[in-house]
Amino acid sequence: MTERTVRVEYLARVEGEGALTVRVRDGSVENVELRIWEPPRFFEAFLRGRAYGEAPDITARICGICPVAYQMSACHAIERALGLEVPRALRDLRRLLYCGEWIESHALHIYLLHAPDFLGYPDAIRLAKDHPEAVATGLALKKAGNALLTLLGGREIHPVNVRVGGFYRVPTREELSPLEPVLEDAFLAAERTARFAAGLAFPKVEEDYEFVALRAPDGYPMNEGEIVSSRGLRIPQERFEEEFEEVQVPYSHALQSRRRGGGPYLVGALARYALNRDRLPPRTQHLVAEVGLEPEVRNPHRSILVRSVEVAFACEEALRLLRSYGPPDRAWVEPPDGFAGGVGRAVTEAPRGILYHRYDLGADGRIREAKIVPPTSQNQSQIEADVRHVVVGAIDRPDPELADACERAIRNHDPCISCATHFLKLEVDRG
Amino acid sequence: MHEEALFRDLRAKLVEVAELERATSIRRAVIWIGALSHVNEEHLREEWTEIIRGTPAEGARLDVEVSEDPADSRSSSLVLRSVDVASAEAER
Repeated sequence: MTERTVRVEYLARVEGEGALTVRVRDGSVENVELRIWEPPRFFEAFLRGRAYGEAPDITARICGICPVAYQMSACHAIERALGLEVPRALRDLRRLLYCGEWIESHALHIYLLHAPDFLGYPDAIRLAKDHPEAVATGLALKKAGNALLTLLGGREIHPVNVRVGGFYRVPTREELSPLEPVLEDAFLAAERTARFAAGLAFPKVEEDYEFVALRAPDGYPMNEGEIVSSRGLRIPQERFEEEFEEVQVPYSHALQSRRRGGGPYLVGALARYALNRDRLPPRTQHLVAEVGLEPEVRNPHRSILVRSVEVAFACEEALRLLRSYGPPDRAWVEPPDGFAGGVGRAVTEAPRGILYHRYDLGADGRIREAKIVPPTSQNQSQIEADVRHVVVGAIDRPDPELADACERAIRNHDPCISCATHFLKLEVDRG
Repeated sequence: MHEEALFRDLRAKLVEVAELERATSIRRAVIWIGALSHVNEEHLREEWTEIIRGTPAEGARLDVEVSEDPADSRSSSLVLRSVDVASAEAER
């Protein structure tokens, strides 16, 4: 027997906070439960008693990938409560900021989390060894999105320049102009991305989704529009809670959502595209035709292609907004006098789907109650259904292969859950 | 909840190191706790028996180094610095 010391220097990580439990009896799948152990974060409780002006900065901290989405939904909801009308020029600047977030978030999802699945690599680091050009394109896109966030938001992660009523400071024409060639290059990179994604081999799957997204009178939706669904729902944003509800399931800390009196639904790129493809601008429409994207995509694996098209859209839209930009007269607008308290609700399109905020404000401008329903929790139930279909079709495969197929089903929809479940713990109870 | 995930990760790493080193057992582990880590020494020692239960590290001594430098790049982390492993002579 010998003894020796081994230097390890291993940084322990918080990962693998997801598990999938499958119960099989007599060869058929009885039950599939996707357990997310991430504990509640209590943001809604933190907001109580805070001044409404703090909400955009507090809620931005909910997500490092899509902080702008939280700022946008918070601002719109509070402005509705205050009866505050934000002028077109400031709304355009918000849309431009949102374009930056869509670009950086989608690029991360496409290249660093999703593409390795199709090419047989465990992660983007190992993908980069054999396909350096693909990862370089992804990082270049992310950089272009981050450049917009930095200029308009003050910094690329958790921007600090957004406020109720507008911005703390708006950029000059001269400050924005250098971004035009950056976004033009980014559009070309998005085209390459869509062509690359179109060439991937997709497993044959067809899901019966109810798509839910915003739809605005003009333009592909981001900050404005009614809530519509592929099964005929059409309601103003204020009625979100009348049609959708969050439910707690006993096996998971993450809340799930469903249509009241109905079942799961899907938000995000597939839903937006299915319900708004006619709103895509000309160059992106051309790209859609070139890569042969069907009018509705019900194969969740093909979401990588839809996301690529949305990156192209966000670049094209950012270019339009940049070229037409003239600095607004004021960086922000103040609420009307005599506020007596009230409730405001708003939905915007985060990269992963619709994000709902509701604020009940007192006459003193402090938040009495807040409710936030992120796209991750709205999709949770549908993702569980997708995973169930995967399990039913592959139950005879060995556990490691089954776990891999289930992880892929999750990564089709959500980079946040897939971060937490990249090492999905699979428990198959075969009786 | 984060602590549980962190400890599970630590446990998996101990098992992996034992396998890589073809160790029959792990006798001692040295763990460094950053100044801003959400885990403190008392908490880690409390959980240690559970972390190593049923692994080649069961019964291993735990030595803890606590950093007081918040500027350290790993200050919010936990680092498994080294392990003392025992192996059968013939296997080496």
